[in-house]
Amino acid sequence: MIIDTSGPPVLPAKQVVDFKPSLLLGEHSLCPGCGEPVALRILLEVLQELDIVQRTIGVVGHGCYGSFVRIMDVDVLQCLHGRAPACATGIKRVRPGVAVFTLQGDGDMANEGLQEVLHAAARGENITCVMLNNGVFGDTGGQQTATTVLGQRTKTSIDGRDPETHGYPIPVADLVASLQGVGYVARGAVSTAGGVLQAKRMLRRAFETQLAGGGFSLVEILTMCPTGWFVPTAEGPAYQQGTMEQTYGIGELVTR
Amino acid sequence: MSLELLDGGAAMAEAAIVAGCRFFTGYPMSPFTGLLEEMSRRLPAAGGVCLNAESEIEGVNMTLGAAAAGARAATGSCGQGIALMQEAIAEAALNETPFVVFNLARNQQDYFQATRGGGWGDYRTITLAPKDIPEAVEHTQLLFHLADKHRAPVMLYGDPLLAQTRVGVDIQALDFGPLPDKDWVLDGTGGGTGRSRQIWTWAMGKANDPGPGPDGHWRAIADKFDRIAAQEQRHEEFMVDDAETVVVAFGTAAKFVEHVVDGLRAEGHRIGWFRPVTLWPFPGAALRRATTGARNVLVFELNAGQMLDDVRIHAADRDAVRFVGGVSIAESGLSYGPLLDAPVIRSRILGAL
Amino acid sequence: MERELMVTGVGGQGIQLLAKTLALAATREGRYAMLAADYGGEMRGGPSKAGVVIGDAPLKALPILPSAWSAIFAHHRFTEGVEDRIRPGGIVVANTPLVDPSTFRPDLRVFAVDAMGAARSVEAPQASGFVLLGAYNALTQLVRPASLAAAMEELLPPYRRQHAPANARALEAGAATVEVSA
Repeated sequence: MIIDTSGPPVLPAKQVVDFKPSLLLGEHSLCPGCGEPVALRILLEVLQELDIVQRTIGVVGHGCYGSFVRIMDVDVLQCLHGRAPACATGIKRVRPGVAVFTLQGDGDMANEGLQEVLHAAARGENITCVMLNNGVFGDTGGQQTATTVLGQRTKTSIDGRDPETHGYPIPVADLVASLQGVGYVARGAVSTAGGVLQAKRMLRRAFETQLAGGGFSLVEILTMCPTGWFVPTAEGPAYQQGTMEQTYGIGELVTR
Repeated sequence: MSLELLDGGAAMAEAAIVAGCRFFTGYPMSPFTGLLEEMSRRLPAAGGVCLNAESEIEGVNMTLGAAAAGARAATGSCGQGIALMQEAIAEAALNETPFVVFNLARNQQDYFQATRGGGWGDYRTITLAPKDIPEAVEHTQLLFHLADKHRAPVMLYGDPLLAQTRVGVDIQALDFGPLPDKDWVLDGTGGGTGRSRQIWTWAMGKANDPGPGPDGHWRAIADKFDRIAAQEQRHEEFMVDDAETVVVAFGTAAKFVEHVVDGLRAEGHRIGWFRPVTLWPFPGAALRRATTGARNVLVFELNAGQMLDDVRIHAADRDAVRFVGGVSIAESGLSYGPLLDAPVIRSRILGAL
Repeated sequence: MERELMVTGVGGQGIQLLAKTLALAATREGRYAMLAADYGGEMRGGPSKAGVVIGDAPLKALPILPSAWSAIFAHHRFTEGVEDRIRPGGIVVANTPLVDPSTFRPDLRVFAVDAMGAARSVEAPQASGFVLLGAYNALTQLVRPASLAAAMEELLPPYRRQHAPANARALEAGAATVEVSA
């Protein structure tokens, strides 16, 4: 389209947020400032850009993002807490031509389902696991997860996570990256516009790895949860950058 | 006809493959292990996949995924491992994903587990308890049919004698009639059409096509299990019409009871037997008819008295119900103890007349 | 008509293989067979028992036999619960000298077979179980001798194929033992 610049614009400018990927069936219902809808959006855009919309099955775990099942125009199995990589394995093994991804949170993948993701990775399952890591159980109101960073206050570590009492955070992407059978592992963050674009590239490469039969792929995406962190909405990105992004390195861990 | 000498695990594996099973998972545990080994040996040649899962939890969820994607799928363990699978069995009942669960147990102590279940929510599990290997071959195939017919996880409840005894069997595909189309299967083609599919216990649907939600969905599931309960009761009985004594038993133990009662009948005792083939739905109406007029309703099972509850609920006269079974475990813990033996059962029954 | 055999001995005597060979031979003849094995975790030295039932129609037999038409006693240990289940007139093969044939109930037809001696005499010292089986089958005629030999070969894993001729000699030697003594 050629934009006529001979006069003032006839339509108001549109913000990126006003565009809606065609795979979104409606508005999300999560809190203002949440990073998860941003991750959903780039995930759906990647499916469209790779032209695999009509050969994709999603497996969604339990967390705030579970409500995305209602607004994703993608075939979806909503599975038990933590078990998405196992369900995805079953799907992929009987439908190898379909792209299969999981959508899980840190509570889902690192707490309830660490075994499932590690074994799926070690088997080299040709699936893509997406972990939305906000370091807290958002859905239940802000309790400590396995990825809660040291010092962070949660409803079950009220004076801050103390390793003497609560142990240390688990870096899932690094664990997975240490296994054979893995084709692509990366960790991104959606706290900045540049981070969103980088995370989207990571998702794209993860799916490309799967489509090429390159083995297990995982993208861990750090997402803001100002509600669960008990910080003002607008401070979510800065809080994430100062805490989680200091603990968990951003970048690609495995590329083949 | 061509007989093959197969142990129960191999016979059930072959029957499952003949029934179209193409995905199987398991975690080794005696006496289920043989079935898992046979599946891993036989399924790839049939174009299927068998995975030695890292846990029963993982295995059953893999099976749930494969079934959601449209495959005839199964998993199994013994009672201890089935305990770990209960969450997923309940989930599959509530999100209507059909697959078969083999409980090749060490004894009969899993009756409650099978018929009451340990998962959450209003669900039941169709459970068949074959008395021997030829019947297990038939039940294996029937279970895949029932799972698809009702879109529900279903169970075969067996034991070490069923799993490990070898018999000559001739395994042929059985036809149980037409089934509804699997129009609910996730095949990945729904994306971007506005009609993408969803398998979800809470059934809230998509923004453009709301579902019934948990209230409507779970009511419908409860209604479905009521219909199954009315339709799928199966039982066997022998000489109950004039019987003063009816002995009730299930699974392998029922085969022993049959043998003993047939002998007592031949000696002139007015005695018959009744065997629930489906543990759930329990054939309650048939048991009521069979026990009408009986002075003794004896329950023989190798546990502390589990099916006993169902017999008490359904017997014509619950005061006539008495327990002649009991806990009896081999020293190894892996099989039955001395109570599962025809002469012992005979003396227990005679002692109760 | 269902014919039941109970076999008892210690692990390592070839009890399970003997029973399986008979059941497979009957199956290959198109008849119905059942093999119920009962052995502990030990491969050798522990109790090893098996029940075999053969019939011409689908079997009614229980996997734990309440009574039997015949028995093979390969060892004097682990015999309890076997002799008292053999029906009157039942056929018993007693592996001498490990088993004393004079101690059995008088209503049983007892045949003494020195399985190890016979096995050694045909240079098949590891195949005494097949001597017992050959003797038993010669007495009972449950299956054709050729079926037995074929089943024995079928059950040998590839890495033990070289034992087939010795096992076959053991089966024949067993049959000859009872023909001589009968």
